[in-house]
Amino acid sequence: MPIPFPSDVWIKALQEVLNSDDEYGKIASTWEGDLMFVVEPEGARTRPIFMYMDLWHGKCRDARQVADVNEKKAAFLLAAPYSVFQRIVQGKLDPMQAMMTRQLKVTGSMVYMMRHVPTVLKFVKCTSKIDSGFTE
Amino acid sequence: MRGNLLTIDLTHGTTGARTLDPQLFRDFVGGASLAAKLLYESLTPDLDPLSPDNPLLFLTGPLTGSSGPAVGRYVVCAKSPATRIWAESNCGGFFGPEIRFAGYDGILFTGRASSPVYVWIKNDKVELRDASHLWGGDSYETQARIKKEVTDSLARVACIGVGGERLIPFALILTDHGRVAGRTGMGAVMGSKNLKAIAVRGGSPVPVADPSFNQKRSRANLDLRHDNISQVLREMGSSGASDYFNYLGEMPVRYFSRSGFEGIDKVSGATMAETILSGVSACHACVIACGRKVIIPQGEYQRGESKGPEYETIVGFGPNLENSDLHAIAHLGQLCDSLGVDSISMSGTIGLAFTMYQEGVITTKDTDGLALKWGDVGVVEKLIRLAVRREGFGELLARGSRSLAKHFGVEEMAVQVNGLEVAYHDPRGATGMGLVYATSPRGACHNQSDYFMVEIGNSMSEIGVERVDRAASEGKALSVSRHQWWRTLNNSLVMCLFANVPFNTARELINAATGFDYTPEEFLQCGERGWALKRAINNRLGVTAKNDTLPRALLTPLSEGGAAGVAIDLPAMLKEYYEAQGWEAATGKPTRSTLERLGLKDVADDLWIHAPSS
Repeated sequence: MPIPFPSDVWIKALQEVLNSDDEYGKIASTWEGDLMFVVEPEGARTRPIFMYMDLWHGKCRDARQVADVNEKKAAFLLAAPYSVFQRIVQGKLDPMQAMMTRQLKVTGSMVYMMRHVPTVLKFVKCTSKIDSGFTE
Repeated sequence: MRGNLLTIDLTHGTTGARTLDPQLFRDFVGGASLAAKLLYESLTPDLDPLSPDNPLLFLTGPLTGSSGPAVGRYVVCAKSPATRIWAESNCGGFFGPEIRFAGYDGILFTGRASSPVYVWIKNDKVELRDASHLWGGDSYETQARIKKEVTDSLARVACIGVGGERLIPFALILTDHGRVAGRTGMGAVMGSKNLKAIAVRGGSPVPVADPSFNQKRSRANLDLRHDNISQVLREMGSSGASDYFNYLGEMPVRYFSRSGFEGIDKVSGATMAETILSGVSACHACVIACGRKVIIPQGEYQRGESKGPEYETIVGFGPNLENSDLHAIAHLGQLCDSLGVDSISMSGTIGLAFTMYQEGVITTKDTDGLALKWGDVGVVEKLIRLAVRREGFGELLARGSRSLAKHFGVEEMAVQVNGLEVAYHDPRGATGMGLVYATSPRGACHNQSDYFMVEIGNSMSEIGVERVDRAASEGKALSVSRHQWWRTLNNSLVMCLFANVPFNTARELINAATGFDYTPEEFLQCGERGWALKRAINNRLGVTAKNDTLPRALLTPLSEGGAAGVAIDLPAMLKEYYEAQGWEAATGKPTRSTLERLGLKDVADDLWIHAPSS
């Protein structure tokens, strides 16, 4: 049964995928930084949804939906409308493309992000391992 | 636009003014396209680029000097001594805006001064001054001395270094804090005219037709400031994405023979930001501030604050030569700027020399005793100095890579197109760039279209440029064409390519600034018109479909890295391309109907005078 996106269950499923993916563990072995995903209101969705992940040396130490963006002060904030996240997770939109075309807004050190391009790309690839459920 | 062109006849020491018809701006916008229109008749096949007859035109765009997004640029155009075809080279800083503040849209130089001069323009007062005492000075020192002489520290100076004086075909023009018109040798054309520098100071604001311009440009600047790409450029400079380019196999290594540079962590924009970066610099009214300032605190290349290298210089003197010493790269880039030579062409030509040496084409007997070993930056510096002095082996280097390779009978080894060294974006990592390099009007140039950005994701739906498969050859010629037309517009505005300004935002800004009412179709067609006109100039100068080619190295698939195995099918791409552009495949000329559709009947009559209507 598909896991609804975005949700606490979904982000925990991603945590499990990351922690069991040896290749991710190797590529992300030097990554130190937490992320906050902001799924912005769009259409019938009138409130933003926030999901937090703590990524450290190739492992995900914490993952959960939070009530407020300030509940955790993450190193990176990745914000986009629901439909953009949907296309990224479904592999229909490259994350770098989303970033460059301003569909995905990034707040945080771009220096760090650019130093870890393979980690970013592998991270996004891991989301495709989840049987994600989307509502149109 | 102002419609005022300042004319300076250096032979006779006279100045004048020419009024430009507003319709010219409507049709060509400004910048490089307008320059192509104004210079069309003068650029003939038998014109020696270093003769007094080669006109040298500095032009701005209708937004230059305004507070619009990233429009503090000007362009310099002539016939190129490097390629002997159309030349354009644009430059940021503050010099372009100052031309407009002084009341002009541009400056046209003709003739040759009998001895070195510089021009001092203060609003409507124009003076030719002796520059004998400045001859031999480096480009930074020259700026400082002229500002002192004209007793105006806010004067803006564009000048040449020794490279331009010695007519090196890839000599640059430098302004301000190291902003350069680097490519196609416009510095040599200045040198050939005994023109050391131009200093300008103006006092009148740039007019805009519609007061809503200010609101529009504020919004555009705000968007630009928060743009992700702007953030990358601000934090890490133009080499901010070098890690990503390296990952994709889009960044050339060892003179385009390899991919995936192991030392990227030591030379990337991120590393510069974390180590030697001391500050950033911006051009006129720019919210991005991609310019780097660096301090090298110790070691062989120790120096106080100076300009830091941008992407092309980093790759050219870094991965291209298998050097991972960022301090050395900064030093070599600064050396090229001070001496007045283009760092892309210089490092490309040195890369060729290293390759020829390693493959046994040349030996120490040819190189004045120097062993050319990858990564030996001490030798690289010696070669740059030899080239600028035009001494011994340096004389061969000073002529550029096409000439160097030809001298030793290995012309196919030079990674150049039509005499211009290929910029450091490997088309095997983004195949559309192969088409861009092959068809660029000024030789292998990444600023006529930075299509690699499209191929890694920066699509532009507004003009029908959608994301494509970066490894595919077929099916992208129309997209490349439309992107070239858009970038031709940028080079007409003259708007920095780093600014991720949407097409319709640029159109609204130009409409507000000029009072024109371009529709999206008309606006893009201005780009197509400029592109076709530059092609027609080159056709007049002898360019045919045979010139639309790539060097052997780029047609050979890489065996490693993010672009391994990618083969560029250039013939297939060109077939689609000629159709997309409305050019005749056999001759490579825009067809009569294409030229007439674009309102270039006079050009059609000239180009097809002996041919039936197509």
